Amino acid sequence: MGLEIFVCIKQVPHPDHFSEIHVDVGKGRVIGEGIPVIMNPLDRHALEEGLRVKERFSGRITVIRMGRPRVQKAVEEALAMGADRAVLLYDTAFARPDTLATAFTLFYAIRKLGKFDLIYCGNETVDSGTAQVGPMLAELLDIPQVSSVQEVSFVDEKSLEVRRAWEHGHMKVRLKLPALLSVTRDINTPRLPTVQGIMEVPQKEVIIWNAKDIGAPLENVGLKGSSIYAAGIHEYKTDRRREMMQGSTEEKAQRAVARLKELGAI
Amino acid sequence: MDFNLSREHEMLRDMVKEFANGELAPRALELDNKGEFFWEQVKRSGQLGLIGVINSKEYGGTAMGHLARMILIEEISRVYPPLGFFHQTGNLLMYAIETFGTDKQKKKYLPALCKGEKVSALALTEASGGSDPANMQTEAILEGDYYVVNGRKSWITAVDPADAVGFVAKTGDKFSAFIVEKGTPGFEVTRREESIGLRSLPVNEFALTNCRLPKENLIGEEGRGLVCALTTIATIGRTGAAGVGLGIARGCYEIALKFAKERVLYGKPIAALQAIQFMLADMNVEIEAAKWLCYSTAWQLDQGKTSRDLAVDIARCKLYAVDVANRCAYKAVDIMGAYGLSPEYRVIGLLRDALELGVAAGSQEVMRVTIGATITR
Repeated sequence: MGLEIFVCIKQVPHPDHFSEIHVDVGKGRVIGEGIPVIMNPLDRHALEEGLRVKERFSGRITVIRMGRPRVQKAVEEALAMGADRAVLLYDTAFARPDTLATAFTLFYAIRKLGKFDLIYCGNETVDSGTAQVGPMLAELLDIPQVSSVQEVSFVDEKSLEVRRAWEHGHMKVRLKLPALLSVTRDINTPRLPTVQGIMEVPQKEVIIWNAKDIGAPLENVGLKGSSIYAAGIHEYKTDRRREMMQGSTEEKAQRAVARLKELGAI
Repeated sequence: MDFNLSREHEMLRDMVKEFANGELAPRALELDNKGEFFWEQVKRSGQLGLIGVINSKEYGGTAMGHLARMILIEEISRVYPPLGFFHQTGNLLMYAIETFGTDKQKKKYLPALCKGEKVSALALTEASGGSDPANMQTEAILEGDYYVVNGRKSWITAVDPADAVGFVAKTGDKFSAFIVEKGTPGFEVTRREESIGLRSLPVNEFALTNCRLPKENLIGEEGRGLVCALTTIATIGRTGAAGVGLGIARGCYEIALKFAKERVLYGKPIAALQAIQFMLADMNVEIEAAKWLCYSTAWQLDQGKTSRDLAVDIARCKLYAVDVANRCAYKAVDIMGAYGLSPEYRVIGLLRDALELGVAAGSQEVMRVTIGATITR
């Protein structure tokens, strides 16, 4: 039988190339065309956790991604790591969503996919970092959820004990499946794909669904379904400055500290 | 004409790059200084499926092919050439067994070699050199069901850690290829050569003294040993050395370019100086040219062409990529000044490794002879 596991993934700009992202203040847009993309780093941890659970209890892993089908790096990487199939949600109606509209889109897709035991998400993405989609999706699905997950242990095949990060400590939570977990980087070290995994990618199923396929009311998805929108975008410019301190090591250190205080840096 | 790599090749490159940057780069200097064989990294290569890319799935390989092998050697060598070079020499016997060996040999040796649990070596060269193999002295004489072998092989990479070593010996007036396993009486690793580069890969001499090998250790037919060895060295050795060269060149270029953009002189980065730009431009062009020589040769091997069909192509890519590796390494050292001479900044280590490639799998002059003799025919 095994567990039915869904992993929500996002394709994001490669953090090594963030400095190449520009802001068009006039049009209120972030321009990142041509920048290499990867699977959101925390989503890799989410997938890794799913793969480990599958290895222990058997089952099937479906990764779900919303976005354009033209560049499929995140999905391909997930399949090469060991996911069994992928669902790609693409429709012009899904464009420019906020976190709520994204959660709704994922919700409709998951509703169509049917029964599941576990949903894994990365706690947040490196490009927008809201940490909202996982919890929102769980609310829409009306299932228990834990965010900031650092460790998961199975009490039995149907219930979990989860450790979540908390300010100055951690919290242990017990919950029953089906459930949604948003994971942090502490939870595991994601595996690299293997050559065997890469060679299997073309044989794996990639389902592409649009709004109609998943029965998504257009007023709930994309820009239309968003409760917030960017009213304006501002770019901060930072300049590097260099000043040389003279004197003995101690004097230089004192002068440097005094100068940093003067500048309001410390 | 489509110059795009397949998605699988792109994914392989991404994976190997992440392996190299994440797991090899932080330890490259330490491994180099230790000078010991890197079992941990070999096993990891095996786990990732990198060692068996040219071997068939039936025997534990992934059959991804020669272009895949070129790409992975390039990406590894960008960061840690000794492991890239291991993928050159470590694949030699694996290819010889897969191409010329018996089904029993394939089942016996290939799965563990693909996994990196065991390693192998292939030996042709003797003290008199490797460019004139027909002059070798090692001899195997058939006595009943055994060959009795006497002789000595020199300058062979990674014999010491190897569980199985392929070698060629005279059998009458012809030559035959054999496998000798670690621990066989009469087989002894007699020396580790001191070498300036690729320091964690031992280069050994070994002796065969009345070493009795069963007939089943013969690779292919008796008398076809030179065909087996030379086909293997051309198909796997030369292309592999080219891949290591390409990787070293890229590694040097990337380090030097980053350095030139960050190093400030007279109030601006040295990358703004035309003298530096000219060196970087030359490196950039030569790497691109070497890349396409290497990729096109590997791609043609994947299309079913043989090392005989591609003798000139293989010689060209080995000759050029290795020359480019040396030139780029020199330029990188030059651009980086005193930093270039510090092992911590890696380019001096890459230069030492590049120097080793000239003599690997046929000297640069042998490559020129192959090309020259063909084009003037």
